[in-house]
Amino acid sequence: MLKMQNISKVYQTDSVQTHALRDFSLEVKEGEFIAVTGPSGSGKTTFLNMAGILEPFTSGHYSLDGIDVGGLSDNQRADLRNQKIGFIFQGFNLIPDLSLFENVEVPLRYRGVPAKERKKRIEECLEQVGLASRAKHLPQQLSGGQQQRVAIARALAGKPRFLLADEPTGNLDTLMARQVMELLEEINRNGATIVMVTHDPELARRAPRNIQVVDGQLADFTLYQGVPEASQPVVDTRIKAEV
Amino acid sequence: MFEIKPIFNALCRSKVGAVLLFLQIALTTAIVSNAAFMINDNLSYLREDTGFTQDEIFSFTVMTFGKDRDLRQQTEIDEDMIRNIPGVINATMSQAVPLSGGGSSSSVRLKPLPEESRQARLNYYYAGEHALETLGVKLIEGRNFRPEEVIISSNYHEKGPSTVIVSKAMAESMFDDEPALGKSIYLAGRALEIIGIVDVMESAWPRAQDSGTTGIVPFINAQNYQYFWVRTERGERASVMNIIEEKMLQAYDKRVVINIEGLDDTKEAYDATDVLMMRMLMVLVVILVLVTALGIFGLTQFNISKRTKQIGTRRALGARKSAIVRYFLVENAMICTVGLVIGSIAAIFLGRVLMQAYSIDALELEYVIATAAFIFMMSLLAVIVPATRAANISPSIATRTI
Ligand SMILES: Nc1ncnc2c1ncn2[C@@H]1O[C@H](COP(=O)(O)OP(=O)(O)O)[C@@H](O)[C@H]1O
Ligand SMILES: [Mg+2]
Repeated sequence: MLKMQNISKVYQTDSVQTHALRDFSLEVKEGEFIAVTGPSGSGKTTFLNMAGILEPFTSGHYSLDGIDVGGLSDNQRADLRNQKIGFIFQGFNLIPDLSLFENVEVPLRYRGVPAKERKKRIEECLEQVGLASRAKHLPQQLSGGQQQRVAIARALAGKPRFLLADEPTGNLDTLMARQVMELLEEINRNGATIVMVTHDPELARRAPRNIQVVDGQLADFTLYQGVPEASQPVVDTRIKAEV
Repeated sequence: MFEIKPIFNALCRSKVGAVLLFLQIALTTAIVSNAAFMINDNLSYLREDTGFTQDEIFSFTVMTFGKDRDLRQQTEIDEDMIRNIPGVINATMSQAVPLSGGGSSSSVRLKPLPEESRQARLNYYYAGEHALETLGVKLIEGRNFRPEEVIISSNYHEKGPSTVIVSKAMAESMFDDEPALGKSIYLAGRALEIIGIVDVMESAWPRAQDSGTTGIVPFINAQNYQYFWVRTERGERASVMNIIEEKMLQAYDKRVVINIEGLDDTKEAYDATDVLMMRMLMVLVVILVLVTALGIFGLTQFNISKRTKQIGTRRALGARKSAIVRYFLVENAMICTVGLVIGSIAAIFLGRVLMQAYSIDALELEYVIATAAFIFMMSLLAVIVPATRAANISPSIATRTI
């Protein structure tokens, strides 16, 4: 599904060079649910930006669903995001002037889905996140948890095979965070591959596979297959010290 | 494709900026279309053919203080003398100078008072059979005056003229499409038979609405304040103008010669206030249009900085750069359309008010349409630069937490 080989990302600001990712290699298989943890500033978001084709990387190889991302034009990258990836952001990123219905509609419009089909799909997605009755409301009329559920509905609208979430529960209280997590687990069971960055060790533990990013590198990862709830995940926090 | 519905809905939900902008667009449309119309209306008279070969003609004023000459005789001597100057084609004395802003005009009628009859305004020059050639106007029907028809007299009523040559516009304003030649019109109680019709001949005040209804009345009443018109060969005018004062004073020295001026300069001086007003209107138009363009530019810029996150998010969700540019173009087009519709209505209304207050022509609808189209195009141009910048916002903005 996703294959990164020796990906590096260098941010150049004025005179400062930040090596946000170095020699980052990772393979994600179809249907996986991966939790990404790591200290703040370690490069988790940068990794997600690379995975989600939001930014070009400095060097390395990345292929998504068999497509070599490196050589794509800007339009092709936009189309690829639109067709294959669903995004869930920490800050929800709903468009404040659009109703919930119109928010969920955004990716479908960019894909050129006909109106009738759009409507059906939007209603399905809002139904799935339990907000069908509020389709006409504006984002600011909802609680944070509800807003994040709308954002998930938006991410699901285009039926992406690959879902990327950057601290989706970071702005939510525990109860709401748990609801969102349950929703993601359900989506994963339905077949979508999920990569989720999180700070919350409890949520990370619920994911079948954990990886840790430290100082722009993959620290280590443990793959738990089979029954995620039953097993007690062990997060390997050995850090490859290399400063 | 164009996201018209969601853009419209979003606009309705946050309308303060949009309302201000469309009001500005409406105001600009209303003022610019009226100003453009007035400018063009003015330009059309400034460019209008006067009928005269302006760059070959000059005029001058003679004030006589000597009392020892018969002015009528002196005038004939003067005219002969001027016609004999090398380079001069013809010359004549008159009571006014064309295009100068000062002359004579009176209403003429088909029948004498007190009978009811059709009337029109006649702007006339007193001059003899040399006038046509001196002015360079084109005779299109009938004939020139015969010498005996040119009346030298000081009493119009007792011993006045009985013929007249009128412009085509004058003939039409009196007789419509019927032949005017041979008919008579009454000027100050005297019947004047129309013996000739000239094509275009401006009056002394081109700005006036009926400035083309003119005539030459063959009446010579020499006084101690009189004007001469002189037509020279092309290129000879300056040299004749240089010696004319000396020649006139040689012929008789108890007088002064002033205001020796080319007819093109006379027209320019007359037009000066209109040209000034026109320039001011043009400056106003340019300023208004620029301010509106800046307003659109600024609002788009503001909207973009306010929506940076949203734009990044849209890009992350699969919007191509072109879709972002299109978003702002469509949004602007909507605001503009509302503004232009309101502005066009306001323009027509303002046109009516101006027409009544300043008795100018009614605003033509073409000007409103052209102005609206122009402002629309300009607004698109004002949006395209910031919109392109918006399209270059990185999609990775979406994952930034601040
Ligand atoms: N656009 C950017 N420009 C410059 N530096 C950046 C940019 N984005 C991230 N960084 C830097 O890259 C490093 C990794 O950041 P990030 O991936 O956001 O970490 P995390 O999400 O794990 O907190 C940090 O040092 C951060 O300051
Ligand atoms: Mg982060």
